[in-house]
Amino acid sequence: MATSLAMLAGVGACGSSNSSSQEDGNTLTVWWYADEGSAESKGWNQTIKVFEKKTGKKVKFERKSFEQIAKNGSQFLNSDKAPDVMESNRGNSSAGLLVTQNLLSDLGPYVKKYGWDKIVKGQNQILGKYTSKGVIGGNTWYGIPTYAEMQRVYYNDDLFAKYNIPIPNTFDEFVSALAKFKENGITPLSEAAMEYPLQQLWWQLVLSKADKKFVEDYQLYKGKVDWNSEPFTFATNTIEAWLKAGYISKDVSGLKSEDAFTGFTNGTHPIFVTGTWNHGRFMDEAKNFKWESKEWPGANVYEGGTGNILTIPRNAKHKDMAAQFINCALQPDIQNFIGNAGGIPLTYDPSAIKDPSLKVMIDDFKKVASKGVLGYYPDWAGANMYDSMSSSLQQFVNGEITGKQMLDAYKGYYDQGVKDLGILD
Amino acid sequence: MSRLPGAHPNSFNIYLLPGLIGLLIIIIIPLLANVYISFTSWRGVGMPRWTGLTNWARILHDQDFWASFGHSLLMILAVTIIPTILGLLTSSLLSDVIQKKFSGRMASLFRGIFYIPQILPIAVATIIMGWIFRPEKGAVNEVLKAIGLGSMQRNWLGSSTWAMPVLMIILIWIQFGYPIVIFMSGLERVDPELYEAASLDGANWWRKFCTITLPEIIPELLVVLLTSTIGALKTFGPVYLLTKGGPGRQTIVPSYYSYTQFFQVQQVGYGATISTALTLVIVVFAIVFSFIQNHVEKNQD
Repeated sequence: MATSLAMLAGVGACGSSNSSSQEDGNTLTVWWYADEGSAESKGWNQTIKVFEKKTGKKVKFERKSFEQIAKNGSQFLNSDKAPDVMESNRGNSSAGLLVTQNLLSDLGPYVKKYGWDKIVKGQNQILGKYTSKGVIGGNTWYGIPTYAEMQRVYYNDDLFAKYNIPIPNTFDEFVSALAKFKENGITPLSEAAMEYPLQQLWWQLVLSKADKKFVEDYQLYKGKVDWNSEPFTFATNTIEAWLKAGYISKDVSGLKSEDAFTGFTNGTHPIFVTGTWNHGRFMDEAKNFKWESKEWPGANVYEGGTGNILTIPRNAKHKDMAAQFINCALQPDIQNFIGNAGGIPLTYDPSAIKDPSLKVMIDDFKKVASKGVLGYYPDWAGANMYDSMSSSLQQFVNGEITGKQMLDAYKGYYDQGVKDLGILD
Repeated sequence: MSRLPGAHPNSFNIYLLPGLIGLLIIIIIPLLANVYISFTSWRGVGMPRWTGLTNWARILHDQDFWASFGHSLLMILAVTIIPTILGLLTSSLLSDVIQKKFSGRMASLFRGIFYIPQILPIAVATIIMGWIFRPEKGAVNEVLKAIGLGSMQRNWLGSSTWAMPVLMIILIWIQFGYPIVIFMSGLERVDPELYEAASLDGANWWRKFCTITLPEIIPELLVVLLTSTIGALKTFGPVYLLTKGGPGRQTIVPSYYSYTQFFQVQQVGYGATISTALTLVIVVFAIVFSFIQNHVEKNQD
């Protein structure tokens, strides 16, 4: 499917190549770390082809590892070896940190020139704009999102049909589906607590009782976070109850995200709550049964956000060309291409998306984003929260600490993590 | 010290220069920089800000830091003490019993088998062991079930009780071959007549082990103890690959803790403080140990 579209996409418009600067050289250096199989990586590869064809310039692409950019990015960017376009993780502790280190270019003039704010609209802008302290949702554009992702629930239709259980539409139906599978001796949820899956399920449960103000308090530090409030206690108690009821394996603290992925694709567990970034892999690997994906049943706020951003480092040598490249990636042909590859584009032409299940996924995201109820992820607000939260969650699911103790520990990680970011004086 | 006849003793100093420059660039300057950074607050880019003893005051009250150092003692148990004791007994058995009763080739075969985990890249060895100890469909749990010990199945690396013991078992398995190889080469030196004489006097294996084997390989023993203790204090790979210090803080070690501060929190100043503290401990240990080594070897002579 992706290859047939590659041919269609050749006619895209990136804007003319009337580069106005005195920059020399015809080679644009681009770095990203997205998985080769991911929709955004496929989309950006296509962007390279279109860009080269349109402008007659060359792109030198280097694939970096996530670790290389996350852990040593600031050193590269501070040197004269900085690339022209770089994928950066979005959020306060990643792109925000680079902003405070003065390593990224202000993209404001390019946003105006190309009208990017008409494509990246509403809440989709939050993760591209930062304050001078590096907090998301500021006034200055430092990165441009070109795709989005969110948590969805993936259902094994064959197993639901076999036990005559309807695909749930509400939270109550969801819980009763869990119970019915358990009665039939099946552990319904594919989960893992050594890595992100269970942490993300917990956060989606938090968000299901949260509101916009809660998200702004937690992620943008607009107010105090009350760790005894209902969203937190509800999520924590629900996880505890589901463990007790056997809806989640008792071994979950020893399992990694790949275990949860294969637990769903090999048909062991009928339900997997995970991000749309896995959608493409399900299309390739879950072939022995029919499956579908739906948004989380009944939430106020949804886990997810726009994807990693494209940035132009301050030390980039070809900034105008870099902006042209980013502009390419936001054009309808590339956006449709990302949609057909299993990703969520920020703008798209519904008639260009072939697979109806992908259309549902994209429309669900659009609906949520236009309401401004995306809740991002729990570890974004502070430094090093991902590992700390995972390790306490492991102890909690083992029954070694209580839910209250876990929330107290989370509060400590949050306070220390926010302090370590150095964004609040 | 040998010297070419007629050459001025100082004329050789120039040959030390390349080594000294290398030492300076690769070891001394980074070490001093690390010590300096430990007195600053720094995010890795821009100028470090001098904060005096703030980081050092923080480290004194940092429970995670002390927990990580406590775990270092367990690492010493797993990397140094247990493999050394097992290695002593095994190498003695191999050279004294297997080699004599069977053949030298048989002993070499065993030695090679025990050494395999040392040859494997540590990441490969660790990840394979991680699969073996998986809670679902992991080899250990499957074997326990197959032999009717299903009740002993555990969530090995996911539980606070078992994560550290399992990590230690993995380290013992990796480390075991190292002392054996060193000790066996040491035992080659021992005059077989000593053993024969002792046998004629009616000494059993244990007696020969205590009075001949052990004293003869004291130099090798000391080298193994020193190198593996330093290795134990620097343990990083298995923790990073298997548990990330969890569950909770049950398996955090100093190297991993300083890594999180350096690269995840990007509090480079505090990360440098932790690694400087670790360096201090290793240097003090190495000095004390060298004194003991000199003392023991002098007494032997």
